Amino acid sequence: MGAIRQILLAALAAFIALPRLAGAGESIKIGVAGPFTGSGAMYGVMIRNAAILALAEVNARGGIAGRSVEAEFGDDEGKNDKAVTVARKFAADPEICMVIGHFNSTCSLAGKPIYKDAEVVQFSPGSTNVHVCEGSDYTFRNLYRDDYQGTFLANYLKKALALERVAVFFDNDDYGKGLKDAFVKQAGAVGLQVVTVQDYVREKTTDFAPLLDLAKKGDAQAIFIAGLYAEGGAIVKQAREKGVKTQFLGGDGLFGPGFTEIGGAAADGTLITTPFMFGPSSSQAAKDFARRFAERFGREPDTWAALTYDAVTMALEGIRAVGTDRNDLRDWMAGHDSLEKGFKGITGVTYFDANGDCLKPAMVALVQGGSFVLAPKQME
Amino acid sequence: MEFFLNQLLNALILGGIYALIAVGYTLVYGIVKLINFAHGEVYMFGAFLGVVSIAGLGLPFWGGLAAAVAGCALLGLLIEYLAYRPLRQAPRLAALITAVGVSLFLQNFAMLVWGSEPRAFPELAPPGQEHFFKRAFFRAQLGEGEVFIPGKFLFIWGATLALMLLLDWIVQRTRMGKAMRACSLDKGAAALMGIDVNWVISFTFMLGAAAAAVAGVSYGLYIGSQISFRMGVYPGVIAFSAAVLGGIGNLRGAFVGGAIMGIVEVAARAYVCPWLNISGGYSVAFAFALLIGAILVRPTGILGSTAVDRS
Repeated sequence: MGAIRQILLAALAAFIALPRLAGAGESIKIGVAGPFTGSGAMYGVMIRNAAILALAEVNARGGIAGRSVEAEFGDDEGKNDKAVTVARKFAADPEICMVIGHFNSTCSLAGKPIYKDAEVVQFSPGSTNVHVCEGSDYTFRNLYRDDYQGTFLANYLKKALALERVAVFFDNDDYGKGLKDAFVKQAGAVGLQVVTVQDYVREKTTDFAPLLDLAKKGDAQAIFIAGLYAEGGAIVKQAREKGVKTQFLGGDGLFGPGFTEIGGAAADGTLITTPFMFGPSSSQAAKDFARRFAERFGREPDTWAALTYDAVTMALEGIRAVGTDRNDLRDWMAGHDSLEKGFKGITGVTYFDANGDCLKPAMVALVQGGSFVLAPKQME
Repeated sequence: MEFFLNQLLNALILGGIYALIAVGYTLVYGIVKLINFAHGEVYMFGAFLGVVSIAGLGLPFWGGLAAAVAGCALLGLLIEYLAYRPLRQAPRLAALITAVGVSLFLQNFAMLVWGSEPRAFPELAPPGQEHFFKRAFFRAQLGEGEVFIPGKFLFIWGATLALMLLLDWIVQRTRMGKAMRACSLDKGAAALMGIDVNWVISFTFMLGAAAAAVAGVSYGLYIGSQISFRMGVYPGVIAFSAAVLGGIGNLRGAFVGGAIMGIVEVAARAYVCPWLNISGGYSVAFAFALLIGAILVRPTGILGSTAVDRS
């Protein structure tokens, strides 16, 4: 344990120190905050590598206006108290013109007031909590907020799958309710019939038979599960055993190996939203990024690497366009307010509403043989 | 119609499982006047022992069930011997608090041993084949819908009924049952008559724990997933209520109370909550409201009157 820790710390120190030595003096600096150690370190390594790749590519092309670009990495360990420390450090450093991060919603929320006071943009490639962008003009993200998945899935059911009747099961907490409300609202708007809305309580509701019977009674063609993987897996398993043959859909709470472990074969065919995913039908730009990433780091990039790469690339484009003034950069970010004016990256087109929330469409993953693949039907 | 029949099936399954857990509360209360709050955790251990011995050791279903029953009986014995026996002469409150402590201990123990992630109940048939428990034993088309009874429902009902009859026979017809009833009336006098009171109490704990093990494995088989270290808390409370509703200390009362709790919970979830347009989470509130109402009218429970002291 001690040895591993020391190696990690040494690696971290090297990553923080190296760009500093390299770019001394006139380089342009951005902050990159994320969980580089701790239980979220597997995300942190993707975030750091993606940022390193994006910066290296710009530097290889001569940097921005003759100046090299570098990142200062701030480790928030996925904890909000550490996030506050990182945010204070970034905010107090006048050389840092923009911050990419944080990853965990709780860290983004903790850093928000500090970045707002210092008038520096925080641009998250990973926080999906509904409240992250509220109340600060300096907070942006380049992926959907949780409840957008509800809106998106209602559209997807109606337009991409051409289904008419759906039942909704939701986990009775903030995440589940937010998803359910957005879904039901959008279903009304697009003319999708919601036959029943049933809630359940995490870890308490284990028998979903009455809920499934209610869905069957309403002749639902699909069941939308607004909840987490444990209950999601239980629902699909119990449904298949009861002979319920509807399409299942869920938000990213279902995304992960836990869902297929619990659901088993019954999980196959479930459609789940994800901010971005690599697959055979990915764009050429995404495939190129994946190849360059794998060549440099010896492993395939994931969703978070792609989103971080897009966030860093967008920030650098902003610096190229308006310079390093923090407020100019904020205005430049906020100017991306429609699909036409959006930033075209490898994960799609990034543009924001007045809040700073991202309006990029989600992608849909399909469970197939116990693993998650890019679903053949995607929204434009 | 088909919807109604399906709800009846759901209610009978749930009611049977609640009844099997309630038996443990009522037997123990009948003899030592203790609400064994750790009983829900014995049920959880039963489910885990079943899962572990089937998935981990590769035992067939019946072997897993037997292992769970044997393991839980031993657990019941140990709980009584280590936690409650030293407090036999202490005030009843001390034993009650100890029961809460044992419950917390067992939950955390299970979390450390089996992890905090919920587990799925293992598949009983090799891939591509359908086990008898999943195959339709009965299937009827009613209009647009269908009523479907898989084999595992039969197993759960059969196990519930058989265990109830067996327990009733043990308590009413055997020498051991006579000793149990004697201890329930007056432990001192029973001891003077040559009854080994300690052994009778241990035996009672083992009987209740064995029934809880069958309930745990049955429920795991029924829901197929979500075997977790916290799974005993909620059914434990419901089953305790069922025992009180039926008349605590009364074996047949536990059966009746469990069935009623199951029926009310499912009926509320499937009919009353959608009709009132309220959250289905309130279905349990209806079950508890019924409990309160019943206790107000009959403080000793439905079958509780004089039978209380005879268990």
